[in-house]
Amino acid sequence: MPALLEACAITKRFPGVTALREVSFDLRPGEIHALCGENGAGKSTLIKLLSGLHPHGSYEGELRLDDRPAQFRSIADAQRNGIAVIYQELALIPELSIAENLFLGCEPRRGLLIDWEKLYTDARTILGRVGLDLSLETPVGRLGVGQQQLVEIAKALSKQTRILILDEPTAALAEREVEILLTLLRDLRARGIACIYISHKLDEVFAIADRITVLRDGATISTHATATTSKNGVIRDMVGREIKDLFPRVASQPGDVLLQVSHLSAAPSPNAPPRLHDISFAVRAGEVLGIGGLMGAGRTELLMHIFGAWGVRQDGQVVIDGLSLHDATPVQALAAGLALVSEDRKRYGLVLDRDIGFNLSLSSLTRLRRGLLLDEEAEVRANQKFFSSLRVKAPSLETVVGTLSGGNQQKVVIGKALMTDPRVVFLDEPTRGIDVGAKLEVYELVNRLTAEGKAVVLVSSELPELMGMSDRIVMLHEGRVGGEFTRARATPEKLLAAALGRQLSAA
Amino acid sequence: MKTKFSARDFSLILSLVAVWAFFAVASPQYLSARNLSALSVELAITATLALGMLLVILPGHIDLSVGSGVGLIGGIAAVLVFNHHWPAPLAFLPAIAVALLIWFAQGTLIVRERIPAFIITLGGLLIFKGAFWLVINTHTVPVAPGGRPNLFSLLTTYYLPPLASYGLIALVMLALITVTLRGRKRRASLGFEVDDAELAFLKLFLTAQALLLFVLCVNQFRGIPLPVLILGLVALVIQIITRHTPFGRHLYAIGGNEEAAFVSGVPVQRVVIGAYTLLGGIVAITGLLQTAYSGASTTTVGDSMELDAIAACVIGGTSLRGGRGTVLGVIFGALIMASLLNGMTLLAVSPELKFIARGVVLTLAVWMDVKLAKR
Repeated sequence: MPALLEACAITKRFPGVTALREVSFDLRPGEIHALCGENGAGKSTLIKLLSGLHPHGSYEGELRLDDRPAQFRSIADAQRNGIAVIYQELALIPELSIAENLFLGCEPRRGLLIDWEKLYTDARTILGRVGLDLSLETPVGRLGVGQQQLVEIAKALSKQTRILILDEPTAALAEREVEILLTLLRDLRARGIACIYISHKLDEVFAIADRITVLRDGATISTHATATTSKNGVIRDMVGREIKDLFPRVASQPGDVLLQVSHLSAAPSPNAPPRLHDISFAVRAGEVLGIGGLMGAGRTELLMHIFGAWGVRQDGQVVIDGLSLHDATPVQALAAGLALVSEDRKRYGLVLDRDIGFNLSLSSLTRLRRGLLLDEEAEVRANQKFFSSLRVKAPSLETVVGTLSGGNQQKVVIGKALMTDPRVVFLDEPTRGIDVGAKLEVYELVNRLTAEGKAVVLVSSELPELMGMSDRIVMLHEGRVGGEFTRARATPEKLLAAALGRQLSAA
Repeated sequence: MKTKFSARDFSLILSLVAVWAFFAVASPQYLSARNLSALSVELAITATLALGMLLVILPGHIDLSVGSGVGLIGGIAAVLVFNHHWPAPLAFLPAIAVALLIWFAQGTLIVRERIPAFIITLGGLLIFKGAFWLVINTHTVPVAPGGRPNLFSLLTTYYLPPLASYGLIALVMLALITVTLRGRKRRASLGFEVDDAELAFLKLFLTAQALLLFVLCVNQFRGIPLPVLILGLVALVIQIITRHTPFGRHLYAIGGNEEAAFVSGVPVQRVVIGAYTLLGGIVAITGLLQTAYSGASTTTVGDSMELDAIAACVIGGTSLRGGRGTVLGVIFGALIMASLLNGMTLLAVSPELKFIARGVVLTLAVWMDVKLAKR
């Protein structure tokens, strides 16, 4: 079969780095082709090339579309040729309605004015194609991430797209939303739209891809038909070694209760309806409490609220190591021995254009003081300790954080939290968007923390991770506790039922 | 830190040389000892205010009210000295206290009520201007009653005698060399890269040359003007605050990513209010200096100084989005602004053209900031 889109021996150099070395890749008409690789393997660079973000002439080698040389000068150029990319960070405008977003920049016109009637009719049709049934006038900001993603895909489809590139589309989605997305992609495939699918989640890749290409260190390692390879084979190709145990949780002896949450209710603002209702749980020293739930169940809000960074308390109590936290700010939470690693590291975790050292010590500066001044030697010593113990891969502490891969950025965020010497650590989706090797390091770190007698609260959208790494699991459902399970009693079915607000009979 | 010279640094130096060359040719007096001495006083005043502005731009805010504030604070001191016959040092105290209070209040409004700094300080610009004119009753209020010099008028008419000036420069160089050597040793012991010994020497050597040249020039006139010493002190303090305290780090963090700073436990509100309060203190210093330099508090003292201060920051590489900017850059930016304004005054350029030139420079600087931020 001739290839629809083909990259032939592409080499892309940046100052000081060769991001791609003679990479070859081909996409056949009507196939879903998964692109796998650790962070920094060159997936993003390849996508940027295929989508015209790195224009023709900035790389060596050849792109071919429909068996003819293709020279994309810009993103718009690639779009005209039917290539659309859905990025991890969605490019929608939250204040505008769904319909307005769908036609942003290409509004149907009547003379100089927007033809609203046509815009809404067309929008209805397009939205139908991705199976979304929502009011067209809803501001996009009010939709969940999963629905926003569908809107974005709908927007791409409206532009005569033949090739859809999805960069980590499910990183922010809950299982049910993932299922909706995968069904949609299969549906699109049936209608002849080819798809390049980038994901760290091998379950999804194996569920949907026709072929899988693995990149490592900027080179193509392998391309297999999905049927002829295995997860272990792909992982081996990705990391260059086999990972036997993906979830190496070593349970430690639970000690005293370090975090006690009782009957907690909280709302986004003083007069809003509560988003969290009557939530109670406790975490002991040396224990990992997993918190799961669907998107919008209130997991992140719960952590952020306890940490003092979200919402207003309406009822209930939070006690950390004997100290009650009420109307706290992050400053007080940190002082009480609580640290948070946020799910959105770019937004809540890092000052991206500053160096690693700046970010690592940011939460600990007031404790690294000598008189009024910073004790810079103590700071550097502390930074170096976490830089090496977390094995951040970077030339030095003075490397700008924005240039690091996702996994290394995450290590910096974690290091910043741990430098405050917390007793309770909140990890909100700590492995989102990071590669397999880095994930394993995060899991080992969790073991180390509990072995040191710290309490860990782990929020995760991935059931295997939740079940693999938690000693106990609390499932949230629409801001309430939907169920609590010990590690031994947790099954995917029970957890999902609790997340959906149902009790399995004879549980 | 390891030195990296960027195209931006070079273009700054080039524009400064171009400005100086142009005015030197257009007006032979431009490079005279007398004028350079005056230029250094004007630089000191502009740069001092700009360093205060840096403190609020770093966390991503702005202040449009400092120009009016300069007039008001100078006016308060002048009225106390001239109309109420207070001794000058005593008159400074309430003036400074008022400035600290006003800017504490503005900072509080900005962070607690979440009103954009632009709006609050635009209101401040008008309010302080009105208050200023009320205080001086739209008269001209001399800073020294009967022309007898007092501490107020001496602010811009005192010169460190030539011999003492040489001595001071020697001390400053000694301090710089010590700090550089100790810094290098410490960085090396912590395993960081350091500048080549040659480059470090070259930097110190050039600094020494520049300082010596400056002192040679001003000594031809009367010595180092007091405002330059004040600027030196203010710059030292701001440098220590921004580079060597948790507060300074927090300023950069808030400007770089306010949400991340908040979640990281940076007391965002306290830090921003602190920055505005410090700016208030600097407005007071600038107000006293600028009023003294005019010889009297008149309705135009402080006009458009907020724009010169912002322009100096931006020209010197401070990002209006926050998170980026250095003390040395701001002083350099102020030097370009002061050189331009001084040259135009010397050439008796009409006020109309002066306004236009200031506007063009400010626009160009912001345009450059946006251009560079996009990369």
